[in-house]
Amino acid sequence: MTASPHFLNRPVSRRAVLGGLGALGVTGLLAGCAPSGGRTDITFFMSKTEVLEHFTELISEFNSSQSNVRVILDSSSNIAATFVRGNPPDIACFTYNLEMARFMERGALSDLSDVSIASQIRPEVQELVDQYATYPGRTSVIPWSVTAAAVIYNQDIFEEQGLEVPRTWTEFTEVCEALVAAGITPIYGTYRDPWTIAQGHFDYTVGGSFDTAEFFEKMKEQGPQVGIDSSVSFQKDFFEPMERMVQLNEWSNQNAASRGYGEGNFAMGAGEAAMYMQGPWALTEIEKTAPDARLGNFPLPMTDDPDDLRVRVNLDLALWIPEESQKKDAAREFLEFLTKPEVQDTYNQQFLAFGTRQDAPPQEDPRVAELQSFYDEGRFYQGPSKAIPLTIPAEGYIQAMMTGSSIEGTLRTMDNDWRRLAVRS
Amino acid sequence: MSTPTITTVAEPAAQRAPDEKSRRPRRKVGQERTSWGATILLLLAAVTVIVPLYVTVMMSLKTDAQAVDGNAFSLPLPLDFSTFARAWELTDFPRAFGVSVFVSAVAVAGTVILSALASYAIVRNWSHRLFRWSFFYLLAAMFLPFPVVALAQIKMTGTVGLDNPLGVAFLHIMFQMSFSILLFTAFLRSLPEELEESARLDGATTGQTFWRLVFPLLAPMSATVAIFAFLASWNDFMMPSLITSDPALQTLPVVQSLFQDQFTANYNVAFASYLMAMAPAIVVYLFTQRWVLSGVTQGAIK
Repeated sequence: MTASPHFLNRPVSRRAVLGGLGALGVTGLLAGCAPSGGRTDITFFMSKTEVLEHFTELISEFNSSQSNVRVILDSSSNIAATFVRGNPPDIACFTYNLEMARFMERGALSDLSDVSIASQIRPEVQELVDQYATYPGRTSVIPWSVTAAAVIYNQDIFEEQGLEVPRTWTEFTEVCEALVAAGITPIYGTYRDPWTIAQGHFDYTVGGSFDTAEFFEKMKEQGPQVGIDSSVSFQKDFFEPMERMVQLNEWSNQNAASRGYGEGNFAMGAGEAAMYMQGPWALTEIEKTAPDARLGNFPLPMTDDPDDLRVRVNLDLALWIPEESQKKDAAREFLEFLTKPEVQDTYNQQFLAFGTRQDAPPQEDPRVAELQSFYDEGRFYQGPSKAIPLTIPAEGYIQAMMTGSSIEGTLRTMDNDWRRLAVRS
Repeated sequence: MSTPTITTVAEPAAQRAPDEKSRRPRRKVGQERTSWGATILLLLAAVTVIVPLYVTVMMSLKTDAQAVDGNAFSLPLPLDFSTFARAWELTDFPRAFGVSVFVSAVAVAGTVILSALASYAIVRNWSHRLFRWSFFYLLAAMFLPFPVVALAQIKMTGTVGLDNPLGVAFLHIMFQMSFSILLFTAFLRSLPEELEESARLDGATTGQTFWRLVFPLLAPMSATVAIFAFLASWNDFMMPSLITSDPALQTLPVVQSLFQDQFTANYNVAFASYLMAMAPAIVVYLFTQRWVLSGVTQGAIK
């Protein structure tokens, strides 16, 4: 109780404390106001960690190229919170998925059908946006960058073993058996991180088997009726792909259940396995430890017809301008800058992605170039795991199936969840 | 302990005792039996602190390639100090740190003062139904986790212009109040009311009684409450990330989240940044540990 004399001798302590509080508060408020110098300040939301530096450079290039608009980068806000509060960013370059589609569906994103790039976007790519949701009469989202994911394979191992890239499921099983016979782990699994199974094994086996966009369209229509008697259901349509997904276990590393994404990247760099079910984001991570690894990509075949081969794509980055933004014109000016062919193509080339315009140049990086023809021919699908609302813990269910749970029981649970969610909303 | 050198059995015990006492410490120096059990326990306790700290320091000095080679314990050779510069730049460290300090300072001061005031009013007016029920009302907030009311809070703070660190600090105070009031009221009940009566006899008003007598007496509990409030606000991620609208006024934990997402991990830069966030606390402790420890034992003796 050494504090008592101190307080007894200073009767003004309350005023001092309150004064201090007030002073601190004013400091905090003042820090929020910065002089803008006659320019329109717009907030640009972009939260993809690995490309932050690239965008910082783009922004400073744009800011110094003209004197009307100043772009301020926001990479840490919570996007849902900004909409709730009513001050969303003026423009965003953001991953487009089911969660983001909810805002679009409710008309929170403004119409961009008259920006110059809108007419140049490939229709199949714009279709990816519409698969989630649409808003009548609007082009609310401009696809900017698409990433394609498939099976990453070690070209050195394939060459040493005299193996060809498989184009049918039978060929794929033969490749795996040949690798096992040679004492090489065919596939590296990282089941400790559930998302790696969901976007890899799950999406590839389902997406390679049938048209998932159509399936989810019907699932939405059926909604509250989904179950054993409905025309489509997880139990009915996913059973066979799931059996194959679990079959991949036979050709995976024994310790897959205890390995995570980081360990998987390191193992692939060290050549510990021949194949890895990951997207291009893993390639840049593998590059950190193995800059010279010769890696390629092929879509996982699920049927015995090579024409059925398709790759998994996702709208890695898409541009949108919220309806609530007070500075739409300034935001559009920046959008026009970002959609200049040289800006967009440089990004896609550098970060192993694919362009979205009809005249976009092909990807030249040998690690993903093999996927170009599939992308050009429109032989792609969006990951089915991304079409399931986050309210249903699909990643956990998928991980459970992969590590031994009953496929039938788990799919029935997913149907029940889907139905309950449809009844509720 | 037996003293074989003394052989005279007839020697009076009273005479021998002081003699032995003065000799005993001298003879035991360097010959004390080590308590291995306690030593091992202490070693284990030390390891739980030293190992993570070692990994933090080593990791922060690694290059990008070394950081992901799956060997956290390896020595970082050659040393790479550029991680600190990158972390400093990426997080805009001084600003984020300043915002964190501001939020925590307001939250701690507000929690201690408001909870102490409320507890004093409640405990000394326990017979009034209004105060009794307000106590239960305040306690009920303990069952209200932030995520449940998050959307409403975001909307309201936005409406009244508190979508900034000050609003975050206010919300921290609010969420910390119920637990702090629980601690303060329990402590206040153990304080003799006679002390306050004597102050009243000397002519002190209620305010003077509180500020000059009760609040200083509450000091040990204020320290506890302050520590809880500090930890809750300093380490919080979710509330500032949702409430603060200006990204330039974001707190340290939120800004640091940019080092790791699902697809990439920059462990080396992340740990350099964590180390910088930890450094002030460690440095302060190194210089003040004498007072910190004396404070602990002082409380124990009393």
